[in-house]
Amino acid sequence: MAMRPEDVLRAIAAARGDAICIPTMTTAPAWREIAPDDLSITCTGFMGGASTLGLGIALARPDRRVIVFDGDGSLLMQLGSLATIAGARARNLVHLLFKNGVYHTSGAQEIPGGFAVDFVQMAKGAGYREASTIKDIGEFRRRLPSMLTAEGPLFVELITGLSEQTPMTVRGAGTPFHQQVETLRTRLAASA
Amino acid sequence: MPESIPASLIVDTLKDLFAKERGGARREPLGWVLSVPDTHQKTVLAALDKEPDKQRGIRVLTCATEDEATGIAAGLWIGGEPVVMMIQHAGLYASVNTLRGIAMDGKVPTFYLIGLLSREKDKDPRESRHSMVRFAEPLLDTFGVPHARLEGPDDVHLIPEYYRLSRERRGPAALLVGLETS
Repeated sequence: MAMRPEDVLRAIAAARGDAICIPTMTTAPAWREIAPDDLSITCTGFMGGASTLGLGIALARPDRRVIVFDGDGSLLMQLGSLATIAGARARNLVHLLFKNGVYHTSGAQEIPGGFAVDFVQMAKGAGYREASTIKDIGEFRRRLPSMLTAEGPLFVELITGLSEQTPMTVRGAGTPFHQQVETLRTRLAASA
Repeated sequence: MPESIPASLIVDTLKDLFAKERGGARREPLGWVLSVPDTHQKTVLAALDKEPDKQRGIRVLTCATEDEATGIAAGLWIGGEPVVMMIQHAGLYASVNTLRGIAMDGKVPTFYLIGLLSREKDKDPRESRHSMVRFAEPLLDTFGVPHARLEGPDDVHLIPEYYRLSRERRGPAALLVGLETS
């Protein structure tokens, strides 16, 4: 049975410490409720950009763990970012892929290739230090501590069902993107 | 008439800019260049690659697309790092939604050096017979992105000026590299 995205997010929120989190699309509304802090930036409006935004932060702040909550449809929009991330050798970057096989936000149309697309092989081929799949929430909870400390870049494909909310069902909610950007920059500057 | 700018002049200008941005603090790298390799600026990229102290100096990160470069630039800025993007006009066209979504809506200072590949030396870019040259400035105008042309060695002072303009405005700013660097 596929994991519930909200269960995955709750487990991360409980274990992340001061890790910076970058949710995008369907993980964004739930993350705002589960972890309403100023150490996250939710990416909507430039689908596909979460992984590289996270890479930039990871390169700038190698002392902090950065966790990207990507989507399968989102990653397909900037698939080359796998090679860019691997090439940049960001040791503190964890790239989580919430794989549900569809573009949930726009009506759950199947992504090109559907569920058969093997993102783990792509990440391995690109040069990620580790890439694997997790289908069970228990296994995810067991492996999460090592994800928060192991040398990256790490790629973990999470087999999930659909989230309860999407950016369209809670349109306009949350702090505007530019305010999140400013808040995180200020917070990081204070801890430099 | 426009003139080619020596790569060493641009590299030295970037070093000086980054050093000032650091405020004298010794940090490694000194600053970042995010590049989707541009034929027009290839001598600058080659010069950066040959820098004897490149591990400590300017770190060049080659990106697969300009969308990626814009996202990485935003993340670096959020983390307090100085960064310049070197792309081609075609890449500007390819990454307009990211420019809008991150640099403009996100109010992220984003500074571009954009090569005008195929720009004719004896023509104003807006009169070029090549659409990729002709549309660059009108596109930037449409999005309200301040821009200027690097038409020769005397214009390199525009690099720190437009970089700082992007910081002051909290948004994108661009310089168009008129001729292939030498």
